[in-house]
Amino acid sequence: MEPLYQYAWLIPVLPLLGATLVGIGLISLNKATNNLRQIVAVFIVSITGVAMVMSFAILWSQIQGHPVYNRTIEWASAGDFRLTMGYTIDHISSLMLVIVTTVAFLVMIYTDGYMAHDDGYVRFYAYLSIFSSSMLGLVISPNLVQVYIFWELVGMCSYLLIGFWFDRKPAADACQKAFVTNRVGDFGLLLGMLGLYWATGSFEFGVMGERLEELVSSGTLWSGLAVIFAILVFLGPVAKSAQFPLHVWLPDAMEGPTPISALIHAATMVAAGVFLIARMYPVFENIPIAMNTIAWTGAATAFIGATIALTQNDIKKGLAYSTMSQLGYMVMAMGIGSYTAGLFHLMTHAYFKAMLFLCSGSVIHGMEAVVGHNPVVAQDMRLMGGLRKYMPVTAITFLIGTLAICGIPPFAGFWSKDEILGQAMTANPALWFIGWATAGLTAFYMFRMYFMTFEGEFRGNDTGIRQQLLAASGVVFGPGAMDTKEHEDHGHDDSPHESPLTMALPLVVLAIPSVALGLIGRPWANNFEEFIHAPSESLAEITAEAGQFDWTEFGIMAGLSVAIATAGIIVAFLAYRAKKIDPNAIAKKYPALYKFSLNKWYFDEIYNQVFVIGSRRLARQIMEVDSRVVDGAVNLTGLATLLSGEGLKYLETGRAQFYALIVFAAVLGFVLVFSIT
Amino acid sequence: MEHFPWLTTVILFPIAASLLIPIIPDKDGKTVRWYALIVGLIDFAILVYAFYVGYDLNNPGLQLVESYTWIPELDLKWSLGADGLSMPLIMLTGFVTTLAIMAAWPVTLKPKLFYFLMLAMYGGQIAVFAVQDMLLFFLVWELELVPVYLILSIWGGKKRLYAATKFILYTAGGSLFILIAALTMAFHGDTVTFDMSAIAAKDYSFNLQLLLYAGFFIAYGVKLPIFPLHTWLPDAHGEATAPAHMLLAGILLKMGGYALLRMNAGMLPDAHAFFAPVLVILGVVNIVYAAFTSFAQRNLKRKIAYSSISHMGFVLIGIASFTDLGTSGAMLQMISHGLIGASLFFMVGCTYDRTHTLMLDEMGGIGKQMKKVFAMWTTCSLASLALPGMSGFIAELMVFVGFATSDAYSFTFKVIIICLAAVGVILTPIYLLSMLREMLYGPENKELVEHTKLIDAEPREVFIIACLLVPIIGIGLYPKIVTQIYDSTTNQLTALMRNSVPSLVQEAYKPSSPYSLLSAKAPEIELAASK
Repeated sequence: MEPLYQYAWLIPVLPLLGATLVGIGLISLNKATNNLRQIVAVFIVSITGVAMVMSFAILWSQIQGHPVYNRTIEWASAGDFRLTMGYTIDHISSLMLVIVTTVAFLVMIYTDGYMAHDDGYVRFYAYLSIFSSSMLGLVISPNLVQVYIFWELVGMCSYLLIGFWFDRKPAADACQKAFVTNRVGDFGLLLGMLGLYWATGSFEFGVMGERLEELVSSGTLWSGLAVIFAILVFLGPVAKSAQFPLHVWLPDAMEGPTPISALIHAATMVAAGVFLIARMYPVFENIPIAMNTIAWTGAATAFIGATIALTQNDIKKGLAYSTMSQLGYMVMAMGIGSYTAGLFHLMTHAYFKAMLFLCSGSVIHGMEAVVGHNPVVAQDMRLMGGLRKYMPVTAITFLIGTLAICGIPPFAGFWSKDEILGQAMTANPALWFIGWATAGLTAFYMFRMYFMTFEGEFRGNDTGIRQQLLAASGVVFGPGAMDTKEHEDHGHDDSPHESPLTMALPLVVLAIPSVALGLIGRPWANNFEEFIHAPSESLAEITAEAGQFDWTEFGIMAGLSVAIATAGIIVAFLAYRAKKIDPNAIAKKYPALYKFSLNKWYFDEIYNQVFVIGSRRLARQIMEVDSRVVDGAVNLTGLATLLSGEGLKYLETGRAQFYALIVFAAVLGFVLVFSIT
Repeated sequence: MEHFPWLTTVILFPIAASLLIPIIPDKDGKTVRWYALIVGLIDFAILVYAFYVGYDLNNPGLQLVESYTWIPELDLKWSLGADGLSMPLIMLTGFVTTLAIMAAWPVTLKPKLFYFLMLAMYGGQIAVFAVQDMLLFFLVWELELVPVYLILSIWGGKKRLYAATKFILYTAGGSLFILIAALTMAFHGDTVTFDMSAIAAKDYSFNLQLLLYAGFFIAYGVKLPIFPLHTWLPDAHGEATAPAHMLLAGILLKMGGYALLRMNAGMLPDAHAFFAPVLVILGVVNIVYAAFTSFAQRNLKRKIAYSSISHMGFVLIGIASFTDLGTSGAMLQMISHGLIGASLFFMVGCTYDRTHTLMLDEMGGIGKQMKKVFAMWTTCSLASLALPGMSGFIAELMVFVGFATSDAYSFTFKVIIICLAAVGVILTPIYLLSMLREMLYGPENKELVEHTKLIDAEPREVFIIACLLVPIIGIGLYPKIVTQIYDSTTNQLTALMRNSVPSLVQEAYKPSSPYSLLSAKAPEIELAASK
């Protein structure tokens, strides 16, 4: 097994090499490389496949009980300062390796179908490969600096991929928004990292936690500082995992092609925040205030995301808010100390949410055949309906994903969400209540989505709705969409079609873990917890706990969760399938609430007013100061010399007597001045 | 002096070669550019070879030393040498200037004069970093201005004369302070000498040090540039052509940082200890103020020019951090910005050649037709906003960590400075990505496309950017390839600086960490013993 560990660095390096090769090809032999298309795709996919096989082998050997493996080299040094880089393979990193490589592998296969007609097909594969590389580098990082490095790199990939269709204005705005919002979080992460290094002299997770604990308990370090550092570090995950109040970038990020929404903005990158919290557990665990902040931020995010998702009509935006809400669950789990449950939900969510996004991509792909390539109409659920008849595979897999996210047993989401809610009850009933209510909302909006998309009558040919939607979107899309030939306003078919095999196959494969993966985390025989548990917990404690499993308590908790989920599903059924309740009437009855949800709690408007316009105004004012005051002083000096020179030249008459007069006057002046003082 | 005079060779070879340019038969200006390029390449090759055979990484002192008496009556010596501060910058000069010659390929106006000036600058710039005689330093520093002035005033934009005059007055005004300070230092004490190490060894009273320091600081502050002495830079950049940009951003600004390290910090350490907080504050002002100004600029060249000013702020903070890491970071930031700044300004030139405008409002969506330009702009901007994996990140991180662990400042001061400097981390992507968005993203600007034909980058341009990206990414992946060139020198310099901080005297460096206070004292004692 040793060689496997010695060469584990190949897992992130291989996709990087693949991307570099393709990138060099694109820059130097653009036409030739672009014409290779599927050859490039096969190359990149097989490289990811190799990384996936290695990850599985590593996970297997970790499950067999292989000790933690560390390998580092000295990366930077100055004087006494040493910074090492390398990789560490332990339980959590081996699990993350498998999650990332499997989802990446399937998404890459799917991409072949989804991007088949796109000019940027090859470039897209290169980006996907760089992303996989950065994400894999992130999960095997042994210290905080290296996490920060890859953290920024995945952010860059996200920027490039959101802006993939860079001639669309919304994509151009969204990618910048994503990067800058993430930088705000990274600002905190950087400061927290510096603070922790200042305090503890280390970037290693375990060492930082140990020393910080020692410092605080001995009174050398004011405990408030430890809290501040921890919360600053937590700002990083807040941005990356789209937590309130830095969540605003995630829904806009849906401007990117759907495969990356599945890979980056649902399964892997956004979960990196949760992963970082898990890595930082040795530090956070001992700081109750920080843990509470984390828990409440997560709960707030879960609730906000769910309430906004209720009214979204764009299928991808709806899923984006649902992702945000589910990430909130994970972060909340981390905050209440249920490390295992949080990571368990991360894993199950990665699979079922990736599948849901790929399904939505499949739907959009089908819709584009009917309504054309404008996202305003192709992604709007008001134009869908009845798609189950046309795309059965997509419909069934979407239903499986929906059941999983709603927490219906025995689907994967039930086990992970229920574990979080169960632990929340022990930690703080208020948190449990928020999580529980959110579960009801989740069931409602997910089934609303399912019914609107796949059941009922197909509304795609209703030109009235189409015109209305296009008009509502207004100028934003108009010019861009009409400029180019590929953005036809009208499709060529009357009915949508099922997606090709390369797209359908990944859906089916992802359905397997969405159904069955939860079973490894049954509360009475929790194999998952035996493998993944907080660094401070020992295996013996866990087995002891598992021995005291209480069926009654589990029954009550699970019953409550399933009950609220069922209630949500029934309401969605009555409103969107059986049409017994008119959702529009409810919206009209509570216009304020409806608008509040539809406009996403007005976060974008407020941020735009305060930060965007504010910073622009400030920048303009500073520029004015620079050109008027600072440069003005310079030019004034120049002007003064010029003028005095101009003035003095009239004194140069060429007559010696006049010069003598000046000299005499000067001497007289000196004498006068000195005799007075 | 047994070894071959390498440094004299690399300085005099391009200058001598430039003198041959007038007699080269060349009607359409195509021979002379090849000639200049080959000279540049040969000189760079000599430089690399000299570094390879004659430079010892572990020796903190001057190497490749040469000294010839030039004018004995004035005690003026042609004395050269390179230590860790000079060597990387000399290499950078050779590298960037050679690429600038290649970037100047489309120059058609008076090509002979242009390449003559480029080659003269080549030698002159290396001389600034290599001379070890104070008077000679002043001379080459001044001589260096002439070609820049001429390049600005002949090949510049519409307001070129204003910009060139501003540049020359500003820098010449600054140099006056160098001359006064240098002469004072030379004639101070019992012996009259211009030799830098002899001058450094002299004993100056504290008040005199303060005056000398202030004088140098103004001169080098103009060059770096430091707020509020920076306003010549956007004007000079706004009017310059691409190759001149590359030299200005890539090398000329680094002269200020180099001289600050060598003279202010290295020769007047007591005054440095006194002035250090001022440096730190000005550094932060540079970072934040210039970042905001850059954000508001609508002119591409001025935007990038202000971003240069912003990045130079990190150099100031690093120099004043009194830690090995901070000093090393300052040095790395200079090298890194030399490469990144040159690449960004080259891209500005590339874009201007095609769009014939620098105003962002008149661009938009140009990435659609120019995919390679799009890729290169994106990569260079990401490098500039300190993306990990590229050199800017590690340099800024070293300055941050160095300053955070510095024991020369109070905790509150450090917190305020680091928080403000970190604001720059948010502002940099805002202005750079906004620039990319307005220039390359979105639907095409119809007016622009009607008037101009947007042709994608040619292989020469891709090659230049690739050449600059190799070291940028190389340093980002493994910073030690560069830091080890100067590490021993900067460590020695930091030790010298630390000796002058009253609170730090007699104390070994400890990373001011609460943990190190708590933990056993043993490692500290070991350190003290080894010093």
